[in-house]
Amino acid sequence: MTAAFEIVAFAIAAFIAVAGALGMTTTMSMFRSGIFLMASFIGVAALFILLSADLIGVLQVMMYIGGMLVMILFMVLVMHDPGGAMMAGMDMPLLERWFSKGLVPRHPAPDGDCGKAHGEKENGPGSEKPHGGHAMAHRQHGHGTTAEAHSDADPHARPHKAGSGHEHHAMHGEGGHDGGKQGGEDMDDMDMDGMDMSMVSPVRPAAAWIAAAIGLVLVGLLVLRPAWPHVEARPDPDSARRVGHLLMEKYMVAFEGAGFLILIGIFGAVLLARPSTYPDDPSRSAKVAIDEKPEPITDDGLIPLAGPPEPPGSLHRSEGHA
Amino acid sequence: MTVPLTAYLAVGAILFAIGLYTIIAQRSAVMILMGIEVLLNAAGLNIIAFWRFTAAADYSAQIFAILIITVGAVEMAIGLAIVMLLYRQRRTVEVDAYADLKR
Repeated sequence: MTAAFEIVAFAIAAFIAVAGALGMTTTMSMFRSGIFLMASFIGVAALFILLSADLIGVLQVMMYIGGMLVMILFMVLVMHDPGGAMMAGMDMPLLERWFSKGLVPRHPAPDGDCGKAHGEKENGPGSEKPHGGHAMAHRQHGHGTTAEAHSDADPHARPHKAGSGHEHHAMHGEGGHDGGKQGGEDMDDMDMDGMDMSMVSPVRPAAAWIAAAIGLVLVGLLVLRPAWPHVEARPDPDSARRVGHLLMEKYMVAFEGAGFLILIGIFGAVLLARPSTYPDDPSRSAKVAIDEKPEPITDDGLIPLAGPPEPPGSLHRSEGHA
Repeated sequence: MTVPLTAYLAVGAILFAIGLYTIIAQRSAVMILMGIEVLLNAAGLNIIAFWRFTAAADYSAQIFAILIITVGAVEMAIGLAIVMLLYRQRRTVEVDAYADLKR
């Protein structure tokens, strides 16, 4: 292995590992997180092989990447928004925007969600202003306010995006009005849940500073520390055979213990995930991840029912967009 | 070995920091499990790097890495089972909704 090839291989593998982990933690889409984590594992496996630990590299690929496939399937089953379509139109920092590039907002749900972001921004996090009035404003004037929210909540929106939103409303006419109404109802539900849809917790800046500080301190300690004593001995090229001998001779108890641990883990997982035997347990009815409320039919040509009375603040806001 | 030991350890340290950030900042339980996997990867990378550079004749470090991978797999299986169980009861996977578990 020539020196230049080793340096290039290390650079590529390290870049894949670090960039994959970074993309995993910053992208808005759960599915992309899984794919990025797979890339990170592949990079670490390449580093293992570069360190002439072939068996560990192959084991890494087999165990982790098989496990990650199962994990992504679980996410798609379980998550409310695995594709990140609801988050795609929102305002986010530079790194997250870069890693979430190309996420398409869901149609026509993003109208309601962007409107929700706008409403949160307007109300403030700790404000006691009732959300119901805001939701009703959306319900009454879905056409105007959602279009406004679309351009307000996403300051980095490309011009054609806002244009397409208007086009959609213009094209559908009454259907656009109903879509805005439905978005308002969705927003009402989310507000009653008391949770926003963001994937990251409010302590994210603090977490970023802590992690950056720890990483810098660790790397600084590594750089400043005097070098470890190197052993020039090259490992056996057939190191898998040596490891196998060790597993079967010196570390046999640990190996058997690991196998027993996996067995117990499988038993525990099956036992936990099994539906409960109590008849009134909610897990017995084997629910799947469907939306709680089915989408109302909007294209039946009926005139929508009269909404609740509008709050006084919403009149002048909708005039400019009517 | 033209690439020094410090470079591998630095990659491990950066992976560790990213995993820590993921665990603190993400609010979905599945994402937190992913962060733990990244942490375990960083530990395994450090162990293998130290084996290669300081004790290349003793293969015990690879046994340790195998044990780490085993523990990671079992942790992922159990963690996913618990998350699935909690999701069935609470209809959410966000850890903020699980705060009453510690009472």
